[in-house]
Amino acid sequence: MSFWLTVLRQVGRNLKMTWGSQLMTLLTVSLSVLIFAFFYLIYSNMLNLGDKLGDDLSLIVYLDEEPGPELKQQLEKKIRTFDEVESIRFVSRSEAYDRFALQLGKNQDVLNDIPKDFLPPSIEVVPLKNLRSLNQVKLFSSYLASFPGTLKVQYGQDWVERFYYFTKLLSIIVLLSGTLLILTTIFMVAYTIRLTILGRQAELELLKLVGATNNYIRTPFLLEGLLQGILGSTFGITALYILFQWIKLRFSGPGFLNLFEFTFFSPSISFTIIGVSILLCTLGSYTTMQKFLRI
Amino acid sequence: MVELIKVSKTYAPDVIALQNISVSIESGEMFFLIGMSGAGKTTLLKLLCSMEIPSKGLIEIAGLPINQLKGYKLAKLRQKIGVAYQDFKLLTDRTTAENIAISMEVSYKKPQLIRKRVIDLLDQLALSDKHDTITGELSRGEQQRVTLARAIANSPTMILVDEPTGNLDATTTERVMKLLTKCNKGGATIVIATHDDSIYRHTTHRVMELRQGEKYSLSGGLSL
Repeated sequence: MSFWLTVLRQVGRNLKMTWGSQLMTLLTVSLSVLIFAFFYLIYSNMLNLGDKLGDDLSLIVYLDEEPGPELKQQLEKKIRTFDEVESIRFVSRSEAYDRFALQLGKNQDVLNDIPKDFLPPSIEVVPLKNLRSLNQVKLFSSYLASFPGTLKVQYGQDWVERFYYFTKLLSIIVLLSGTLLILTTIFMVAYTIRLTILGRQAELELLKLVGATNNYIRTPFLLEGLLQGILGSTFGITALYILFQWIKLRFSGPGFLNLFEFTFFSPSISFTIIGVSILLCTLGSYTTMQKFLRI
Repeated sequence: MVELIKVSKTYAPDVIALQNISVSIESGEMFFLIGMSGAGKTTLLKLLCSMEIPSKGLIEIAGLPINQLKGYKLAKLRQKIGVAYQDFKLLTDRTTAENIAISMEVSYKKPQLIRKRVIDLLDQLALSDKHDTITGELSRGEQQRVTLARAIANSPTMILVDEPTGNLDATTTERVMKLLTKCNKGGATIVIATHDDSIYRHTTHRVMELRQGEKYSLSGGLSL
């Protein structure tokens, strides 16, 4: 009989003997993957949302007087020292007046008696469209406010801060659920394999005595862990996909979910989650074997 | 060939099971190990199949020091040694056939070959009707024969048998001895530990007597 056929028979026998605990482990692994993947999905969608909202984000630095060409260069240099930015644009008093007049449209008559230099000059700073820039926009704003001659720095402070805290909270949840995933997969699989080993102590001892090699004895347990990982993570990801589709279908139409497009994981991320789960489960069975299956 | 040179075995804290045993067993020899209970017979068999490690001395099988073998090499050596343990070591939730097959499965024998060999052995040991019986439901005598069948199933080059006739009647004892003699004639080295003098009384093979862990006498050897 070939090695793999014998090993598969052993795996089948083990699963049959301990099907109750195996099923519980499978459920736990699936649930852990589901919980982690759920929060990770929300988190990754929030990152996408952040990128999109960041498109409209710019900081406006109001200055007390029009900067000369040399000062403009100095200011631009100082801004770029803090962080990479997408663009820096200086808006003069007259440009500001023209913009304002354009915005007023038909009502621009109200500006007739007002001097053309009543609006302060400003610098429009557009940060890079990534979450890091978004998260440190407050710091950036304080930095810009510290420039001499700055009257005020304006940006969509409220939503940026709320968004920042929300993504921060999500990242903590993702981290926690990731830890939960690691702990449950490793420990539950290790515990189940341990139960199997203890339940088959007499047989394992006999196998050693009749000349079974280390691979013959250990491979079935490794395969069990591997199988738990494959099935558990696939069930978890599939359940999340079904849930995702249901939510999309159920809440389609005008509403919060339509503010931006919710997307599922790309195949590469799905396979990475499955791969890592398989690795963790195999690690769980390997550590148990090292501890309880000394040959 | 099996060589034991000044082999001693002491169990913690200070129980001396064997002391200074030196003996050579030729390939293809049938060797009897006799002595009272606690004389050290079982310990000696355990040392020969590397189930235990000697506290002192050297054991070589076919020129290999077995207490230094590990992993794959040790597993391969064990496949060549069939052991019928005094406590049987049967898997009592498995059938007779499964118990016998286990020693052949570890060396990846073909399933049809295993089935044929199991049926053949059960026939020789008058256990044909117990093929699918769970071993936990067998009598002590039947379990003993299943243990023996498992020991010789893989056609090992050395067979170690611990009290093979302890629970058997005269007729079955004769069957068992006939089977062991057949294996011996087929070239296997047989070491039988027993205190049943009916099986070695008129033997022409060598008989070593142990007393309190020491070699008391070594006699016979006409067949060599």
